[in-house]
Amino acid sequence: MRVKQPPKPLKMQPPLTPLIDVIFNLLMFFLLTPSASAGEGYLTTNLPKSAGPVAGIKPIDEVRLKIELYDVGPNGKFVENGRNDYCSITVNQQELGGNFEALQALLEGMRERGLSPNTAILISPTMGTLHEWVVRAFDSIVAARFSNVQFAVPYE
Amino acid sequence: MKLVKSSVCGDVSFNYTPILNGVFCLLIFFVLTAQFMTLEVEDVVLPPSLTAEPKDYTQFRNVVINIIRPENPAIVVMGHEHTYRTLTEHLKSLNESAKADNAKMNVILRADRKVPYEDVARAMLAAGNAQIEGWWIQADISRVEKATLKGSP
Repeated sequence: MRVKQPPKPLKMQPPLTPLIDVIFNLLMFFLLTPSASAGEGYLTTNLPKSAGPVAGIKPIDEVRLKIELYDVGPNGKFVENGRNDYCSITVNQQELGGNFEALQALLEGMRERGLSPNTAILISPTMGTLHEWVVRAFDSIVAARFSNVQFAVPYE
Repeated sequence: MKLVKSSVCGDVSFNYTPILNGVFCLLIFFVLTAQFMTLEVEDVVLPPSLTAEPKDYTQFRNVVINIIRPENPAIVVMGHEHTYRTLTEHLKSLNESAKADNAKMNVILRADRKVPYEDVARAMLAAGNAQIEGWWIQADISRVEKATLKGSP
């Protein structure tokens, strides 16, 4: 006599491989889509528009606040044929050493005493001054809430 | 007559998983490639800044001027090194094509922190000669130590 065996219970298993695929895709998406440049920002300024053979460059003829930056050595003096990785700051011929916080404090004091925030401030670095000191001077000016910042460049 | 029941029966259902997989693959592909197409940047150590802010540069037509190699600075735009004159000509042609498209040009300066100002001034002169007004300086806002804003490296 043939005994009919009961039907085997169906084994249900979700397809794991595509599921893992999708999970890894989601993981990569959320890891990579936050901007790679999240730690970068911009300092914005405008180059002056003018006509003529040196278009975009204005001769310095206005009365303004002048911040001079000098490249110096560790002792605060320029080193001939050496590394001048430090910076010395002069504001309208007043020396501040290498302290950008003092620069900011000086500018804030000037603004509190009535200097207009639209006053043209000229950053005049020596050609050997490192870019990071120019940016820090720009920082100090913006932090003191002045908006009209200009850079001195040599004519061609 | 023996009738054989067909063993092929059951509901037909649509498997969504591979489609979702494909959609996410495409999404990641376009998101990543879009990021790489926007700005041509070189690997530099940016100067730190307290006041720099992230900005939306997509409203302008941007040209990124990279100044690399502090020990022997070079101006690199779109992967090519430029002298002052070739940079001026290049920026002029970019500005002219932007004006023809009614777009506004913007220069993003991405200079290494140790690059001397002389090279930055050169790039600025070239942009000025090309009559480009927008001048953005890119800075690092992620690791600024406020207590050490002094003129020493």
